[in-house]
Amino acid sequence: MTFEPKIVGFLCNWCSYTGADLAGTSRIHYAPNVSVIRVMCSARIDPTFVLKALMDGADGVLICGCHPGDCHYSEGNYKMMRRFPLLKKLLADYGIEDDRVRLEWVSASEGQRFADVVNDMTERVRALGPSPVKADLATDMAER
Amino acid sequence: MEEQLRIGVYVCNCGTNIAKIVDCDAVIEHCSTLPGVVVARPYKYMCSNPGQQMIVEDIKEQKLNRVVVAACSPRMHEPTFRKALQTAGINPYFLEMANIREQCSWVHDDPAVATAKARGLVTAATLRVAAHEPLERRSVDMCKDLLVIGGGITGMTAALDLADAGSKVYLVDRDDHLGGNVARIDLTAPYLDSARDMLTERMTRTVEHANIELLLNSEVEKVEGFVGNFKATITGRPDDGKGEPATQTVDVGSVVVCTGFQEFDAGRATNYGYGKLPNVVTSFEFEKMLTEGRVETKEGKIPEYVAIVHCVGSRSTEFHPYCSRVCCVTALKYAQEVKSAIPTAYVSDIYVDMHAFGKGHEDFYRRGSEAKTLFLMYAKNDSPVIRKADPKDDCEMLIEVNETLSGEAIEIPADMVVLMVGMEARADSGDMAHLVNISRDKDGWFIESHPKLDPVATTTDGIYIAGGCQAPKDIPDSVAQARAAAARILGRIAKGKLEIDAVYAVIDEDFCSGCRMCNELCPYSAIEYDDEKKRSNVISALCKACGACVAACPSGAIKALHFTDQQIFAEIEGVLA
Repeated sequence: MTFEPKIVGFLCNWCSYTGADLAGTSRIHYAPNVSVIRVMCSARIDPTFVLKALMDGADGVLICGCHPGDCHYSEGNYKMMRRFPLLKKLLADYGIEDDRVRLEWVSASEGQRFADVVNDMTERVRALGPSPVKADLATDMAER
Repeated sequence: MEEQLRIGVYVCNCGTNIAKIVDCDAVIEHCSTLPGVVVARPYKYMCSNPGQQMIVEDIKEQKLNRVVVAACSPRMHEPTFRKALQTAGINPYFLEMANIREQCSWVHDDPAVATAKARGLVTAATLRVAAHEPLERRSVDMCKDLLVIGGGITGMTAALDLADAGSKVYLVDRDDHLGGNVARIDLTAPYLDSARDMLTERMTRTVEHANIELLLNSEVEKVEGFVGNFKATITGRPDDGKGEPATQTVDVGSVVVCTGFQEFDAGRATNYGYGKLPNVVTSFEFEKMLTEGRVETKEGKIPEYVAIVHCVGSRSTEFHPYCSRVCCVTALKYAQEVKSAIPTAYVSDIYVDMHAFGKGHEDFYRRGSEAKTLFLMYAKNDSPVIRKADPKDDCEMLIEVNETLSGEAIEIPADMVVLMVGMEARADSGDMAHLVNISRDKDGWFIESHPKLDPVATTTDGIYIAGGCQAPKDIPDSVAQARAAAARILGRIAKGKLEIDAVYAVIDEDFCSGCRMCNELCPYSAIEYDDEKKRSNVISALCKACGACVAACPSGAIKALHFTDQQIFAEIEGVLA
């Protein structure tokens, strides 16, 4: 049986969530592995959300915001953009593979792009296999 | 003592939109086992009156204090169900929606997988709603003054309706005159009314109206604030082109964007030879000839053969995929006008499909067909090719058409060719979108709040769009949108006060360390620093709830109402449960 990764998606309300809705109204089919959590802006996404998702068993985390320059709040996505490399560095230190956590820009008119991003991300995380974070955490706790 | 949770979960079938892919009963069964859930029901259309009524009655009878509706996108019906909660007497923010239509049933085809995903989404919503807090909507003043950007037929109509109702309107156009694109046309289809007559009435009233401050040669530089309370900075160029530009800042409650369209650059479609063959002209250039009453070639000759080519830049995979909506009937108008100006002329109308959808347009098409116009059909993406004729051909140009009805390659003589150039979003529509904080679609048109139910509002409350800047449209539709926008705004002005979303950020003074990191981060300068207390503080009326400060606060002192860490954590746990 192929491995079906569980991916948590954090989408900004104005561009990406609307883009994901557009994929729906356009009936563009894509992989069912990403479950979406809506936030007002990608700048709201606290790095702890990503860590929490990984600790709770997510195999991947997808963050989507408006394209640079198009943020509903003028520059929230730049804040996410700056925060993201720091988060990635931290994740790398913990041995979490690069493809598991991803930042993408999806506009309100890019239903197809959202579907493509989800499909691509699902494939990449599937190739990596299940995330070891949750299991490792359980082992650590047991040893303590 | 903490109130005991009593959650109602409602799963909408949406006819068959959800139910044909998602096993709603299985979702219900699963949700019934979640902590706090006392009732879980499906319904055919939850947004219908009986659907809402069911929720209202359950809230009252079962003493529910939280509600989950699993249905379409919250962007669609969140206000509907919030209202239902309010009707039932509980705080509207005790609602959470799970999007199992746009982001589930419509995008997945395996029922088992889609049902599993829906289960996760509804679980997330159920866990989240448990962490919801009651919130109070904010009441703010609604400034009666308004800003209308663009002085075409749409902008003038909106401005006049608003000004007639007693509001002060700032009408801004960057040109030195009113009228926009309509000022460039002669007669209008299908009744052959003069565009000039229509405009003159509007322009005279606009210029003379005591409530309209007309700002020509002007551009809106900045729009700040929020619905009911915008501040717009407008810069005007001096009339004589000399001297310093004058800048003023005005307070307005709403903004109507009526910036129209630009025409497709015919030179981009090289097969027509526009710019190289002197007698290939665009529809707007032809309108100018008609206005001046002189339909003649560049050489000053009366054309014997006139050809009209449809869909230049429209309905093509190379340029714009959409239909520009006005060109077909305008082309029919040209055929009639050429016939009446030059009775001996041969007119050929080279089209892809004849889109004569508007009121009176089909009759107009029939009359055009009877006027001995030669209609030739070509296939989309197999556009005709125009070349210069040989001297022996007795005409200026030859048009090669692969005619689809006869299936033959036909050559048409022409002395003048009119290219029906389509409409496109203005090259700087992106700048306008930034200015007023609205979105554009893939073709550059401004996006409306809802394509059918809310066609003139946008995702930014208080910013409205009307006319050709939203999508290609004719004069009646543009005017209808202008008046619709005006009616929407006047309705809100009539209410006096304005209710805005209760969602904003709050700082807990006890946790704030006064580091001021959030102060600089806020795009709306909504966070002030209290020098005495050495604490930061959110000015809630200015906060637009992006949450940038919340994620950045090193002390965790800032809470994003309705998007708290706790609520989002609950959602994460739910989708991964």
